[in-house]
Amino acid sequence: MFSTSTAPPAGSKAIASTALRNAGLIDKDTQMRDMTDKQGGRKGSSKISSHRHRPIDQFKNARPGSSSRTLTSSARISSSASHAGPSDPLSIRGASRPTAAGRMRRNAVSASGGSSSSSSLPTRVTITRGAKTIEFWREVVKKRWNPEIQFLNLESLIDDEVVKRHNLSSPGLGGGSAREAAVIFKLAGELKPPVKTLSLANNKLADLDFISGRKEKLLHLRELLLIGNPVRDFEYKNNRADRYKQELTRRFPSLEVLDSEPVAQISFDVQQAPAAIPVKKPDATTFPYPMSGSFITGVDGGLVSNFLVRFFALFDGQRGQLVDAYDPQASFSFSVNTTIPIRARVQGLHTSKELPNQRKLEWSHWLSAGEGGSRNLNRMHGGLERAVKSLHIGGDAAVKAFQTFPGTIHEIGGPPEKFCLEAFPVPLGANAGMGLLVSLHGQFTELPVDGVRSFDRTFLLAPAADGSRAKLNGWDVVILSDQWTIRAYSSPEAWKAGDLLVQAQAKSTSNGSASQNQLPQSVISSLPTEQQSALATIPEPQRNLVIQLMSRTNLNVKFAVDCLQNNEWNMDKAYANFEQVKATLGREAYL
Amino acid sequence: MTTIPSTTTTLTPSDIEIATRAADNFTRLFYTAYDSDTRLAELPQFYRQTSSLTWNGKPFQGVDGVRSLINDMPPTKHEVQSFDCQPIPGPQPPSLMVTVSGNVTHGKGPAGNPPNTPAKTIDGQPRVFSQTFMLLPDPTAPPTKPGEVAKYYISADSLRFVG
Repeated sequence: MFSTSTAPPAGSKAIASTALRNAGLIDKDTQMRDMTDKQGGRKGSSKISSHRHRPIDQFKNARPGSSSRTLTSSARISSSASHAGPSDPLSIRGASRPTAAGRMRRNAVSASGGSSSSSSLPTRVTITRGAKTIEFWREVVKKRWNPEIQFLNLESLIDDEVVKRHNLSSPGLGGGSAREAAVIFKLAGELKPPVKTLSLANNKLADLDFISGRKEKLLHLRELLLIGNPVRDFEYKNNRADRYKQELTRRFPSLEVLDSEPVAQISFDVQQAPAAIPVKKPDATTFPYPMSGSFITGVDGGLVSNFLVRFFALFDGQRGQLVDAYDPQASFSFSVNTTIPIRARVQGLHTSKELPNQRKLEWSHWLSAGEGGSRNLNRMHGGLERAVKSLHIGGDAAVKAFQTFPGTIHEIGGPPEKFCLEAFPVPLGANAGMGLLVSLHGQFTELPVDGVRSFDRTFLLAPAADGSRAKLNGWDVVILSDQWTIRAYSSPEAWKAGDLLVQAQAKSTSNGSASQNQLPQSVISSLPTEQQSALATIPEPQRNLVIQLMSRTNLNVKFAVDCLQNNEWNMDKAYANFEQVKATLGREAYL
Repeated sequence: MTTIPSTTTTLTPSDIEIATRAADNFTRLFYTAYDSDTRLAELPQFYRQTSSLTWNGKPFQGVDGVRSLINDMPPTKHEVQSFDCQPIPGPQPPSLMVTVSGNVTHGKGPAGNPPNTPAKTIDGQPRVFSQTFMLLPDPTAPPTKPGEVAKYYISADSLRFVG
C-alpha cells in the first residue's frame, strides 16, 4: 500500500522542466514522464547510473527502495499499456517512481523539441511541464478555494472542467502523478489565510508520499477528507484503518477531524489569536539572571545523591542489577543528538590534546542500540511501530536495552564540577500524588574507544513502597520514568556558576589597557580548567597582565607568561613582540 | 510524598501515539512562542499557578514566576535537535514527560559580537540547552474540540545550558 506509479501527463508538449524547477515547484533532479513514451525506447534515467541511457524498462515493478520514508510500497501498478496514445488519460506507466532523493534524470533526448506523438522515435521522450501548467493549476486551486471558511475543496479533480479544458493530469488519475500532486500542494500551502479544511475525496489517490504537512506547510490543517480514494479504501479493507489514521495524523499534527471522525488528541490551552494587550517585544541585551549551581529542593540531598551514585555505579559495572530499581510500569528510552555542538567546535574540544580519542567515536552503534534504536521523535523514521518499540517498559526491558549500549564510565563520585543537577518534587498527575523530578547533566567515557560523551538524564522517581521489589533490594526510590539523551561532548564550563554573556565583550585597545584593573570573572571562567589553575599560581599584578595578554592574543598561560617575562612585564612591548613572532608560533602556544 | 495509586493501566500503542503527537505539537508551539515577539503574552499561557520551573538552577513559581523570568530575557532563537516523550504510568489521560535537546541563540548570535572579537570566542555563539517538561492534563479546562482528550499545561519545567 501507499505506493504510487507515475502516469504521464496527457498529451502535452515537450517543454523544459526548468520553469517548474525555477519556480521551486519540483525538485531539481526530477522530471516528468510523458504519455508517449514508447516501448523499446531508451530509458531516460537510471537509479544506478545516472548518465547513460539504458534500454527502457517500461514495466518497472516493485522497486523496494524507491518509496520515500517509512512506507515501502507493496504492489505497484504496472502497465501493459505501452500502446496507449496520448489522449488516453487512463494509461498507466510502469512504476518507476521519481523520488526526490537525488535521482539523476537526464533531460531527455527529446530536447529535440519533443513532439509528443512522434511514434518513430525509439527513444523515450520525457516531456515536462512549464510555467503554464502551474498557472492552470493555480486557476483550479483558486476556483475551489473558499477563504472565508478556509476550505480547499479538491474533490473529484478528474471531473473538473478547468482540468479537462487544459488537459491537466489529475493526481491519482489512474495511478497518480507525483508531480501534479506536489504542484497542487505547494500552491495549497501558499494560500492565505492558511487552509484549515482540505477535501481530496474521490481522486483515486493511491499514495500519500507526496502530501506531508511539514514539507508542504499545511501546518494549520484541521480537517482532511480522503474518502473515495484507494489509499483509504485499501487500508480499511485490510483491517489497517488504525495504521491509516496514525500515518495521517503523524503527517498532519494539527489535524482534528479525519474523514469526518474526530482525531483523539491532546491540546494545549494557548490561544492562537493575537494578544488583546500589546506586549513588549524582547530586546534585552543581557541576561537577567546568572548561572546558578545545582538546584535541589523539597528532598533530602543525600537521598538523591545516594540514588545517583548507586545507579551509575551499576550502570557502569553491572547493568543487570538495575532491574529492581524500575517500577513494573516504568518506561525507559534514550535519544541521541548527533549535532556537533557549536561552542565545543569553536574551542576545538574534539581535536584537542586533552581528548585524543574523540575522533574515534561513532554514533552508529548508539543509533541502532536498545532494541528499537534511538528515540528522537524529531526525526523518527519507522512511524508508530518504532515509537512503540523504542520505549521500554519495566525493569527487564530496560535492562535488556542497556546490554546493547557500549561500556560507560560515569565517575559520579569524581570531580563534582563535571556534573550538574536539578531535583524537585512534582505532581504526577491530577490527584496522583507527588514524584521527584531529577535531571542530571554530565559526561561519561565511552568504552572501548575511551572517548568522552556528554549526556542529560532525567528520572521521575517515587518513594519505594515497603515490601516492594525496589525496597527489598535496597532502593529508597523507584524509577517511573528514565529518559537519557546522549550528545557530543560539551565542556562543563557551560554550567559554571556566574555571570552569563549574551554577546562577547568589547576588547580593550592597545592604548590605555593598563588602566583596566580587573577583567570580568566570566572571561577567566571561560578558560579551560587547567589554564585557570595555572593562572591561580601567578601573583598579582602579574596575573592581570597575563590575562590581558591572553585575551588579546589567545596565547595560553605558559606562553603569555614567557612573552611578558621576556619583555619585562611591559604590556605594549610584550604585545609588539607577540606580533613579531606570531608567525613562528605553533599550536601549543595557544589556548 | 505519597505512593502512586494502583489505578495504573498498561500503555497501549494508542497512548504512545497520542503522546508522541502531543510532544511534537508541544515542542513546536512552545519554542515558537518563546522565540516570538509576543512571547510575553503567549508563553505564560502554557503554565498555571501550580507550575514550578527552574532556569539554570534558579527556581520560579507559577504564571507570575514565568513572567518575571522572561520579562527581561533577551530575544531567543531555539533549534530543537532531538526530543523524546514518555507517558507516565498512572491515571488516564496520562501525564507526559518530555525532554528536549537543542541549540539556543540569545541576542544576535556571533554576528552581534563587537568587531575584532577573536575567532575562538564562544561568547555570542549558540549554546546547547537541555530542557525537561512535565505536561499534565488540566482538570479545570474541559475539552473544546472534537476528539480532544484533554487540555494540557506545563506543570514542571527545568532548563539548563549544557554546552
